Amino acid sequence: MQWTALGLMERQRAGSKGTATVLAALLSSFLQAAGVGALHSSLVAENGSWAAEEAQGNASMEHTFFSLDYQHVQVPFEITLWIMLASLAKIAFHLYNKLPSVVPESCLLIFVGLIMGGIIYGLNDKSPPVMDSDIFFLYLLPPIVLDAGYFMPSRPFFENIGTILLYAVVGTIWNVFGIGFSLYGICQVRAFGLRDVSLLHNLLFGSLIAAVDPVAVLAVFEEIHVNEKLHILVFGESLLNDAVTVVLYKLFRSFCEMPAIKTVDVFAGVGKFFVVGIGGVLVGLTFGMTSAFTTRFTKDIRVIEPLFVFLYSYLSYLTAEMFHLSGIVAIIACAMGMKRYVEANISLKSHTTVKYFMKMWSSVSDTLIFIFLGVSTIGENHEWNWPYIFFTVIFCLIWRALGVLVLTFFVNRFHVNTVTSKDQFIIAYGGLRGAICFSLVFLLPDFRRKKLFIAATTVVILFTVFAQGMTIRPLVDLLHVKRKRESAPTVGEQIHIRFLDHLLAGIEDISGHWGQYYWKDKLEYFNSKYLQKFLLREYDQPKSSIVLLYEKLERKHAIELAEAGQLGHAPSHPSLLNSDRTVISEKKSEDALCPDGLEDIQEILARNLYRIRRTGPAYSRHTLPGETEPVEQAQEILILQRRSLRVDASGSDGISPRKEKEGSSLVRGDSDVQPRLCRSLTVEDAEKVRAVKQNRSQSVCVIPAHSKQEGAGKEMASDM
Amino acid sequence: MGGKKPTGVETKEGITDMLFFFSSVSHSQITRLYSRFTSLDKGENGTLSREDFQRIPELAINPLGDRIINAFFPEGEDQVNFRGFMRTLAHFRPIEDNEKSKDQNGPEPLNSRSNKLHFAFRLYDLDKDDKISRDELLQVLRMMVGVNISDEQLGSIADRTIQEADQDGDCAISFAEFVKVLEKVDVEQKMSIRFLH
Repeated sequence: MQWTALGLMERQRAGSKGTATVLAALLSSFLQAAGVGALHSSLVAENGSWAAEEAQGNASMEHTFFSLDYQHVQVPFEITLWIMLASLAKIAFHLYNKLPSVVPESCLLIFVGLIMGGIIYGLNDKSPPVMDSDIFFLYLLPPIVLDAGYFMPSRPFFENIGTILLYAVVGTIWNVFGIGFSLYGICQVRAFGLRDVSLLHNLLFGSLIAAVDPVAVLAVFEEIHVNEKLHILVFGESLLNDAVTVVLYKLFRSFCEMPAIKTVDVFAGVGKFFVVGIGGVLVGLTFGMTSAFTTRFTKDIRVIEPLFVFLYSYLSYLTAEMFHLSGIVAIIACAMGMKRYVEANISLKSHTTVKYFMKMWSSVSDTLIFIFLGVSTIGENHEWNWPYIFFTVIFCLIWRALGVLVLTFFVNRFHVNTVTSKDQFIIAYGGLRGAICFSLVFLLPDFRRKKLFIAATTVVILFTVFAQGMTIRPLVDLLHVKRKRESAPTVGEQIHIRFLDHLLAGIEDISGHWGQYYWKDKLEYFNSKYLQKFLLREYDQPKSSIVLLYEKLERKHAIELAEAGQLGHAPSHPSLLNSDRTVISEKKSEDALCPDGLEDIQEILARNLYRIRRTGPAYSRHTLPGETEPVEQAQEILILQRRSLRVDASGSDGISPRKEKEGSSLVRGDSDVQPRLCRSLTVEDAEKVRAVKQNRSQSVCVIPAHSKQEGAGKEMASDM
Repeated sequence: MGGKKPTGVETKEGITDMLFFFSSVSHSQITRLYSRFTSLDKGENGTLSREDFQRIPELAINPLGDRIINAFFPEGEDQVNFRGFMRTLAHFRPIEDNEKSKDQNGPEPLNSRSNKLHFAFRLYDLDKDDKISRDELLQVLRMMVGVNISDEQLGSIADRTIQEADQDGDCAISFAEFVKVLEKVDVEQKMSIRFLH
């Protein structure tokens, strides 16, 4: 077959087997169909692709104005086409608005992959090449995990770290052994014809099928908006169970190959787990610190700053994989560790670049994974033993549910924040399996029943992604049924409700709804005394851009005051203002209780009432954090507050200057804080500002009245 | 009261006193809030001033930030001790189901629906005449709404609000009228901090 010839050549040439064969298959089958096959048929299947080309070139000495030289660009061309397909598919989904709300994107992508696989199968009458595990683990998985680790909201994560670790470690082990043993029990039943699948094989299968997959979980949980804590629990668990999965998988695999198993081997396995997990964290942190240190010196070469972030993270992943440690844990530790220092050191534009590239790559990876999953499903790799498959699915669900129930029982006894039963259901139901299981099953050594496992894995993945993925949203809605209102809320109700929301948000912030943990404070202390001096570029900040902006703002404000003569509101959108004004003046003569006026007011309120914080999810695959929230809102509030302070000042002298003096003394006293504060305000909105500031301990979070204005000023500058 | 190690609350405020004063607030909740109190208290003199509150970054961009801070301070004072801090926060404890059936003879707990609403009412009513006048409403509205709305529009919104609520015709909202407006709203849930549960 021609495509095998091409495939072989590419193998020697480019070395990237998996992609090339997949793409080569696809494209060459299309090209053949298009009739360009004549060109390929002249090639000889031999070693040395250059020789072949030269031979061809020598054969026809004429100059051709238009010639086709496909192999020259084949590999990059096909890779690009594949990515293009993925991205176009994404556009297509979002064009039809209603579709993503019913069917999660991951399902649609798998569907597209299935179609592609079917096409390839139909054209070639052979199984399409399977996604190479190397490609998945080395190229497709790291961007996603890096994105997850970098944008992980660290406060909820560390607050719930105990619960997350419990679910990840104990829960996974519970699932593995549960599924393994029960499947072994099923295999004992004579009628199914599975007697030859040993306990060890079942445990091995259990270890790879039990792990919840971060890619799938992320993809589905994006669509449903659950509360932050729940999101972080499932998400964190799916990321961290990689360490357990790696250890158990490798352990059982080595057991399969060993003739006899001694107890010391079992203990070695347990010890290995700690090595893998902690080793991964250490590797990640090392690279993270190195990265932070490197960015300290990049002041003159701003353009390549983003590169360091990616290089170091990827290196940490590869290094950990090299030592058979957990690469996922390493890359997460690297991202979380370096984040605050790198963000303080690099420029604003580099920061934006880093964020956007990360999102872009993880998005592409994500899409490709699901498409490849679909493609690889079609084919003759499967042995369809339906009882086994059926029971696998059942046991996966049952053991997950049991595990969550039991663990939550323990968690709730020790924590103030309980995990409610609704949460438990969502955690249990949201345990989706994805591409990691798929790749691991292909990595299995070839033994007689491998195809059975492949089939079972495929079905489980498809079931979880399609059935669970599609139904989780209606179920979540069902569980959160609110009382239906008979009539629309009145204006007064709307206002008061919003008032109460703001009030509650403020009270929550005051009461500090995170615990003041001992270790967190210790870490902050360590950070401010040692790490910062080492890893941050400028320690005592000369006039930063923020201070300059603030001065500019002050001047502008003074001019405004002088011109206006009094404090009025700033018409930032004059056109809107005028139109509203005309509408209102028309209605003035009418009775205020008339319904038209009501609608108008409702509309005005809906548009203009300030939103309370945290209206969107803290982590989202498709948007940068905080992008959905209005930036201007925070600015306006700050400006209004500032103005009200000034009004007080003009009204009663002495208060404002005292405030200013206090503020400045506070600023001077904590001058070492300023650089981080100033530099860290490189983000475009208050949510991030808040999050960034929260990362510092309360003791260094000096926000006198006017330095909040600096934040607003910087934000405005970034908009300009 | 579990067997927890002394946290210093005993020496400063007397935890048994606290537990008695704020009925059925648990030991761990008090400890937690006390550690929050101390972390806010930069001057380490056992009281919080307004600047201590203003140092909380989220409060700076909360439209009602200043008013909320003022709610903590008793009349005319500039410092609030831990008891005052707790007292204000106790309003926001969730109402537990078993409390609803408790005897009605004792003093109403601070986190009852009526007291919660009273707390909110006091934030509107600055001059403490037990009525939300049009001006007070306008002030709050202005704080909550963007700069795009003109004074006339705001005025008409305020008029509308008062008209809907006002039953005795005094062009102001009394506490009873305020309660009536919010009768369909789940105030218990809207004014309860989850973690204190």
